[in-house]
Amino acid sequence: MRDWTLAACVAVLIMAGGYAGEAAAETLNVYTAWPESLSQPIFKAYTAKTGVQVNFIRLSTGELVARATAEKNNPRADVIWGAPGDGFAAAKEAGIIEPYRPPTWDKIPAELRDKDGYYTAVSRNTLVFMSNAKLLKEKGLKAPTSWNDLLDPAYKGQIQTADARTSGTALTRILSIYYAFGKDEDKAFDYQKKLHANVQVYTKSGGGCTIPAALGQAIVCIAHMPDAMEARKKGYDMAVTFPKEGVVAVIEGVALVKGAKNRELATKFIDWTFSRDMQDLLDKHDVYMLPTLPGASIDANVQALMKEAKLLPVDLEWVGKNRKRLVERWVNEVIKE
Amino acid sequence: MRRDPVVAPAVLLVWGAVALFVLYPLGRLLILTFWDGGPSLDAVRRLGGDWTHRVALVNSLVLAALVGIAGTALGLAAALLAVRANMSRWAVRALDAVILLPLISPPFTAAIALIFALGPRGLISYHVFGLTKVNIYGLWGTLLSETLTYFPIAYLTLKAVLANVDPNLEDSAFSLGARRWRVFRTITLPLATPGVANAFLLVSAASLADFATPLILGGTRFPVLPTQAFLQITGLYDTRGGAALCFLLLVPALAVFAGQRWVTERRGGSFVTITGKVGAATRVKSLSPAAVAGLGAVCGLVVVLVLVCYAVIFAASIVRGLGADNSLSLAHYAHVFSGGLRAVRDTLIVAVICMPVGGLFAVVLGFLVSRTQFPGRRALEFAAMLNYALPGTIVGIAYLVAFNDPPLALTGTAFILVVCYVFRYSLAGTRATSAVLAQIDPSIEEASASLGARRDTTFRRVVLPLVRPALLAGMTVLFIRAMTAISATIFLVSLQWSLVTVRILEGITNLELGQASAFSVLVIVLVYVAVVVASLVMRRLNAGSFGQAGTLLGG
Repeated sequence: MRDWTLAACVAVLIMAGGYAGEAAAETLNVYTAWPESLSQPIFKAYTAKTGVQVNFIRLSTGELVARATAEKNNPRADVIWGAPGDGFAAAKEAGIIEPYRPPTWDKIPAELRDKDGYYTAVSRNTLVFMSNAKLLKEKGLKAPTSWNDLLDPAYKGQIQTADARTSGTALTRILSIYYAFGKDEDKAFDYQKKLHANVQVYTKSGGGCTIPAALGQAIVCIAHMPDAMEARKKGYDMAVTFPKEGVVAVIEGVALVKGAKNRELATKFIDWTFSRDMQDLLDKHDVYMLPTLPGASIDANVQALMKEAKLLPVDLEWVGKNRKRLVERWVNEVIKE
Repeated sequence: MRRDPVVAPAVLLVWGAVALFVLYPLGRLLILTFWDGGPSLDAVRRLGGDWTHRVALVNSLVLAALVGIAGTALGLAAALLAVRANMSRWAVRALDAVILLPLISPPFTAAIALIFALGPRGLISYHVFGLTKVNIYGLWGTLLSETLTYFPIAYLTLKAVLANVDPNLEDSAFSLGARRWRVFRTITLPLATPGVANAFLLVSAASLADFATPLILGGTRFPVLPTQAFLQITGLYDTRGGAALCFLLLVPALAVFAGQRWVTERRGGSFVTITGKVGAATRVKSLSPAAVAGLGAVCGLVVVLVLVCYAVIFAASIVRGLGADNSLSLAHYAHVFSGGLRAVRDTLIVAVICMPVGGLFAVVLGFLVSRTQFPGRRALEFAAMLNYALPGTIVGIAYLVAFNDPPLALTGTAFILVVCYVFRYSLAGTRATSAVLAQIDPSIEEASASLGARRDTTFRRVVLPLVRPALLAGMTVLFIRAMTAISATIFLVSLQWSLVTVRILEGITNLELGQASAFSVLVIVLVYVAVVVASLVMRRLNAGSFGQAGTLLGG
């Protein structure tokens, strides 16, 4: 009977070994936080152009950093591609990425790249209000166009947005409010406490409010542009608006993994990422983010929407230093009852 | 019992496996957390400022206790109905089939389905009852969702145990003039104690480890430790702090374990009902028609709720976009069968390997800890429970830390997935085996031994057939978990092995509710096929051994 167990184990080992050895010669390994629907077309385009196979795993930003950190001594990925800037700040601190400057690095605006070259923004991701148009009509409301609109008692228990302790989206919201209130942190937190009264739930994933809002479990979802555009593309009637006081756009970065096994393939891939060739793909494949290389084409829908948005500048260094403190303050002041 | 040449090597083998695949990774993680050039409590200190951690500890305990009680009670109600209400074979099979559903809930789909059933605009809450101010986020929503998800484990365990409580014992009490309630209270329930205690342990430990449900339904008003740990790791990039929070979970896990032991051993612990002397088959009469009606009503409610939730998932899989474009379409299934088959194949390979390996491991372990004496028996029992009671995120990270570097570079293989599932999810089989073994008179094994059979022969020819329902229950749970696990998996999936649950999660994050649902439906179908096949195989292997009511899961 234990012989069976043993035989089964041996069989598994043999099979596993067989599969592990299957990988092709020119293969690049990538960790990404972008959904497959956004990242895969771009990776496929690279394969079509160069013949280099791009293997990728999609993880949430935090899982990505945790996984790459645990694998530090024997890295399995060569490139981290497509994850919010705060993830890269953490990755830099954990010592799992190394500086690399692609040839076009100087063309990327300075506020969109790490000053030491550890990571560079491939795109920018804007915060939006998306509202269920049917419910707005039912309640006789107009889509919110100011941060203060969200304080209307009509929205009580009807707003969903991300928990500050999840990466990315929530940070974009907190920073948006901070900059919209003229960098007056106390005022910004006073506002968030008031907003809290109308929030139904803080979701633990950034875009977690999209489906509930699309299906009418809440009216407003504060999330990123791609979430809203995807919902619209699926046929959900969502109003997409911006607060007139302004929002920020966070960066989505790319970095070279320290000790990458396929370093040369990795740097070539990063070079391509910051070429016109790739930057134009963000529009072509409906990524709904803003490219970072000046002159790259922008999605027509996004461009039309962005006309109404007031984008506020972000001080990356200040964010890096204050992120943790802002989140702690949110936990201790906003959600404490 | 006399010493036996087979037991010692078996103990060593099992201990070795548990040490390598449970203790070693956790040890590595412990070092990572509390060692920074020297012993360091830095990881804990960094958690200090957050009030939610303190609340979370209390919440986790309360939730685990409530889910344990509610899940065990519900499981007991359903199990009584299945084995004591004289239902027809087909009715029991149908009950089995529905009760299994919530256990097969792939990541997040069940919680999301529940939001659609009971949320502010839910099918039941709004469209049937017209309620608009429902709030399912918080303790009650989480409790409901976890109870629904985990009571099937209690059901499977208790059914295996109750089926072994000979109705003749109840008959004797009846003939002595006892009334039904008294018989239930003094005969049936006490004899089912090992089952009840083990079911409680399994359900409450599952709740302690579950982060996916509170992640969606807890909100900020109801923080629990696993979600706090998850947020600490993935939101604040603090693996050490998250790990420290997880180690805190070991305290309640140990308490539950100790409680379970206390309950089963307090009365000198004889729950023997299988002695080899089987009386004439008798018609079960321990439930009055009123009791059957009551249990039926409770189970009926649950069945309706479960069916509504899964009807939502099924509906989402066959329309273009649920709520936006409700026209029928097979597009999502086309997507699954065109692009997703590799993930299905890989998942099936892993799960199919897990099933017998984990099943045997569970039975051997359950047998060793409840039928043999060796030093460190309790420790082994508890160690084997660790990976089950810890949140998957932390188990995944521990495995990654332990098995990424040579000489134990196992990451990237299917082997590590199999190992992770076997040592994380065989607990249900182990506990069910222990519970059933407590009912079997050791003299049956002694009889075999005195006829000259060796321990392994006795195990194969006598014990294995007797614990078959427990083995099947354990393998069912393991298979389901292997098909649907995500939290540890996300750290262990590799570029070579893609799994269905990762695709489902992908679908949910990507707003592809239809694709996620289609994958979920496929997983559910595959699980049913696997369970039926396993059940048939077991029946064939054990043809001639005494059978319980033939059901989907009872063998």
